[in-house]
Amino acid sequence: MDWKSTEQASMERHAPNHSSSSSIPATENTVWADASPLLETVCKELRDGELIHGDNFNLYAAMSALEIMDPKMDSGIINKYASVDEAIEDGLAPVPISIDKTVDVQCIIDIIDHLLACEATWHKGHSLAQTVFSCAYLVRPERTLSHALLDSYCKVIRATCKAVTTIVSDARTHEEEDLFTMSYGLPLNVEGDEKCLSLLNAVEENISRQLRACKAPLSKRKPLEDIEPLQTNFDLEEGYCKALLCRLRFRKHFCHVLTCMRRPQGRGLELARKHIASCISELGSILNSAEFLMFNAYGTCEDGTEDRTTASGRQAIGFDANLNSRISAPTPPRSIKILSWKKAIKYFENLLHHLDIICSYPLDPSLDALLHFVAQFQKAQPDLVARVHLQLLLVQDGKLYGRYPILAVIIRAARLTEVIMRHDILKNEYFVQLGQIVINMLKILCTNAAWQRRKLGKILQDWRAIYSQLELAFRKESGEGSSISNGENASAGILKHILIWVEEQTYWIAHRFLVLGFELELYSPSEYCMVYWYLSVVLIRLAEKKHLKMTVSDGSAKQKGKKRKDSPKDLAREARIPPAISFLQCQICLAEGLALLLAALRNELIVLQSPSPFNSEHERFLQHFELLQKACIPDLISYPSFKESTSCARISSVVMYNYFKDAQKIAKEVKSSFLNDPDRSAELRILEQVAEHNSVALNVISRAGALDPSLKVSFEFIHHPYFATVVVKRS
Amino acid sequence: MEQVQEKQRTEEFDASEIEYVSYGGEHHLPLIMNLVDQELSEPYSIFTYRYFVYLWPQLSFIAFHKGKCVGTVVCKMGDHRDSKFRGYIAMLVVIKPYRGRGIATELVTRSIQVMMESGCKEVTLEAEVTNEGALALYGRLGFIRAKRLFRYYLNGVDAFRLKLLFPQPEELHPFLPTMADRDDTQNHDDHSPREEYSELHRHL
Repeated sequence: MDWKSTEQASMERHAPNHSSSSSIPATENTVWADASPLLETVCKELRDGELIHGDNFNLYAAMSALEIMDPKMDSGIINKYASVDEAIEDGLAPVPISIDKTVDVQCIIDIIDHLLACEATWHKGHSLAQTVFSCAYLVRPERTLSHALLDSYCKVIRATCKAVTTIVSDARTHEEEDLFTMSYGLPLNVEGDEKCLSLLNAVEENISRQLRACKAPLSKRKPLEDIEPLQTNFDLEEGYCKALLCRLRFRKHFCHVLTCMRRPQGRGLELARKHIASCISELGSILNSAEFLMFNAYGTCEDGTEDRTTASGRQAIGFDANLNSRISAPTPPRSIKILSWKKAIKYFENLLHHLDIICSYPLDPSLDALLHFVAQFQKAQPDLVARVHLQLLLVQDGKLYGRYPILAVIIRAARLTEVIMRHDILKNEYFVQLGQIVINMLKILCTNAAWQRRKLGKILQDWRAIYSQLELAFRKESGEGSSISNGENASAGILKHILIWVEEQTYWIAHRFLVLGFELELYSPSEYCMVYWYLSVVLIRLAEKKHLKMTVSDGSAKQKGKKRKDSPKDLAREARIPPAISFLQCQICLAEGLALLLAALRNELIVLQSPSPFNSEHERFLQHFELLQKACIPDLISYPSFKESTSCARISSVVMYNYFKDAQKIAKEVKSSFLNDPDRSAELRILEQVAEHNSVALNVISRAGALDPSLKVSFEFIHHPYFATVVVKRS
Repeated sequence: MEQVQEKQRTEEFDASEIEYVSYGGEHHLPLIMNLVDQELSEPYSIFTYRYFVYLWPQLSFIAFHKGKCVGTVVCKMGDHRDSKFRGYIAMLVVIKPYRGRGIATELVTRSIQVMMESGCKEVTLEAEVTNEGALALYGRLGFIRAKRLFRYYLNGVDAFRLKLLFPQPEELHPFLPTMADRDDTQNHDDHSPREEYSELHRHL
């Protein structure tokens, strides 16, 4: 069918009749023609199942097609208002809200509260357009100019949204939270917004005076202090002044927190903590104001007071969820639920708490300490805004905290002295790359767990590649057949230290990749055996490299020092295993114990595995450990090695070489070394608990007999996030 | 949609009474559409259905009980990154009274069988982390949870990307790795629009 000729014919036939009734006026560049007759003809001619094809319109493209006039697909078919202006004309956002000053104040507080709820909803992963900017007052800045309180508050909100959007954009994490920074068409750069704090201050000053005035006894009121009260009901003046003041002050301090935390090199962290404390205090006051505000609500309160988005329980004036639909996307966004007011406050309390942890960090130049801190920080699953602040603090201008060049940090981590920094070899390309790889890793460690794990898996290749490059360089430097510990060959020495450290770091990343899988629930119980087995293999290598790093550095330090007789104390110190290694060994024992117990249970048919029709355990092994295998972490480890290690496992043998008892023993022995480290102490206690429980469970299983059908064995994460506790029940 | 409460919550039937039919043409399309639309809060455009059943009719199956359409599976397959030929399960629905009797498993199994015979190296899909039924079903078939996708669904729920790897002929030991592609912003592996049919495993 010749589409063009049919269209022309149709237009010629109908143009004279329809041009006069055309409802869309022609402009300079467009002329509208009614295509209804054409479509009617086409519909009659097409048979069921036939589609119009085009060069750029295939079936795949057709999936994104819009069904015009379907409200679920076409943003143009809007529920209520065609535009913001229409909404305003309809009276959505009156200024002032009421000529009754009391009602006006009540409504403004409702708006403030609802905006907080919207803001928290935005932070939690929804778009600005559907949350904060569903407020018509924000979207037409010129309208609020006459109302100081409303105007200054709107300015502060816009400025804060802009600041937070900028911070998240700067972090460039490209996480799944891509909705967060979408601000097309929204007024984030309104002239005059930068004065928001001074305007807010003026308003705050005024309300403070009003508060003082209403609290002063009537007889003592000086005629000079004759300030117009905030609102008309004298009995409620104090309550409303206080309710407003804590809200304004919270906003002010929150702005300062953001500004202070963005100061380079962490210079503003101490001051930020003060503002955080003020914010938390004001949030407390805001919560307390709820009773007063609810009591004095006018009209009907919303049902379901737990869902209410304002302290008073009333619905806030001036909001429409679909206000920005047309600028957001061609298809209407799905409706979202705004967080309740109480949940919003909880969110901000949480956020401030996490920001405070970041601000309290002593900016330790030790990479080990930093990695530990970040891992701990992430345990509480902080939200995006907190995490990007951490990332932006850690990595600035290619330096740690903007202070320590990344190479210096690496040198220190590899236990080389700072003197090395002047060595020429550090100017080599691969050291630059190494620095970038480390920075990339630090950024990744600040992202959400799901994203983080995927990225950690991918960067293993980078770490392997840089290791290979450095190894080649090391071989070149040390020459053929020369002694490795040749103290005169400084370049080779440096490379050796770096190599060991790179390997240790690689295994650390691999271990983190594996254990995050537990937190993300990626492993089904039938896969625990292979995961614990692989984890034990990785941990063993990690401990090896860590220990090597420590002994190599001690060794070279000894060589450089003056020759002296080894005192018994020195020898004893060398013989002792460093606590950090023991800590790892405790985990290795737990992992091995769990792997072998799981294998034994399967081998003795206590845990039946029905085979899958399409693949075997081999394929699942390959999939779970693909990224590790690709990076040869570790080398020569494969599914056959796993089968070999576990096929002979029996309950009786597992009892004999009781790994759990070993883990318990190590945990007890090394406890005293971590007295000054509350995090590690706590974890050791938990590891000990798990070891003890599992040891007992093992004995129960062995005594009951392997094939006892009434025995039910399960593996649950009741003590530790990734070392399971064995639970034995009798059915 | 249905205002009358069914007297029995589940339908009584024998497994042998279920008839499994491969997608046969236009006459099956409205059946599939009605089934999926019935079970989901948001209907999909007809073009979405057509994309799948036109290009890969051999991968879609319908389950009938006494002439009534009670379940369907809709899939596709194609070249993916690293030239991996990969199957994708887009929609799987069984109406409520017929659930828990292995119909979904049978539908999926048939589709995967065709994928395997067509040379696919693996099969993938997304499912909500809260969809225990789907996770158990695919787990039994040998799928692993390859990734967790944070806030994948617009209501904030995470998703798992499930993957099934078919046994491969013995491969050579991998040679030295190269630098990973660092520009890789982690989009979804599929080229398909994210939200188009990600909900479709909700109801099993």
